[in-house]
Amino acid sequence: MIAWALFYNPMTLGFYSELWLVFPLCAAVGLVYKTIRIHDLRRLPREILVLLIYMVVGLSVLATALWGIHEYWP
Amino acid sequence: MTKQSEQATPMPFLALLLACAVPGAGHVYLRRPVRGIIIFVTIGAMFWSGMAMGGVLTVDSVHERWWFVAEMLTGVHGLIGWHGQRAVYERLRTVQGDSLDEKMVREGVALVTPADTAARAYAGVAGLLNLMCIFDALMLSVMGVCGEPAAKTDTPNKKPKAPSP
Repeated sequence: MIAWALFYNPMTLGFYSELWLVFPLCAAVGLVYKTIRIHDLRRLPREILVLLIYMVVGLSVLATALWGIHEYWP
Repeated sequence: MTKQSEQATPMPFLALLLACAVPGAGHVYLRRPVRGIIIFVTIGAMFWSGMAMGGVLTVDSVHERWWFVAEMLTGVHGLIGWHGQRAVYERLRTVQGDSLDEKMVREGVALVTPADTAARAYAGVAGLLNLMCIFDALMLSVMGVCGEPAAKTDTPNKKPKAPSP
């Protein structure tokens, strides 16, 4: 390899940095979903924020539950 | 802003074709330009973020067929990614010696965990979101809806008028 090039060579990601990437992913999912569902576009930012909170809290609860099962299940 | 029009009848096939080719184009065709631009920018940003993380082999029609199908749903973005991947495979096949996997490692394009998960999740979810937009554009055009929905007039405290005798 001569030099690293964007869109050609992969980035080096750590496992814990990968977990942070769930936030922009959830935000993008919420943005597209609400864009096609919402009636009044002026309410879009608020609706996206609410959906983002729902998704992040839901994923956190799910992750905690699965971690608990993994750690403490006999 | 354009209001919902009863006169204009969109063609479902054209809406479907546009939405498949360019994310958001189906909504622009249905006179919902703001929504179309938001969809185009968001799906494009997601797909190319995935490509930036995973490199040229994020779109991999040989080893990751299901992710490839999802990525192709981004239309023109997926086609550009596929073209890049094919060019790399063609070039690596002409190089003598070693297996294809070893050549990819030597070239510095081999995708490894955890970058592959993040990259393919971004690019694949972008495609699945566009599938949702394609379906929305198709349904709107089948129902003959064109333009932004008319503003709702919410008057919950207003009592309906009693019919005059």
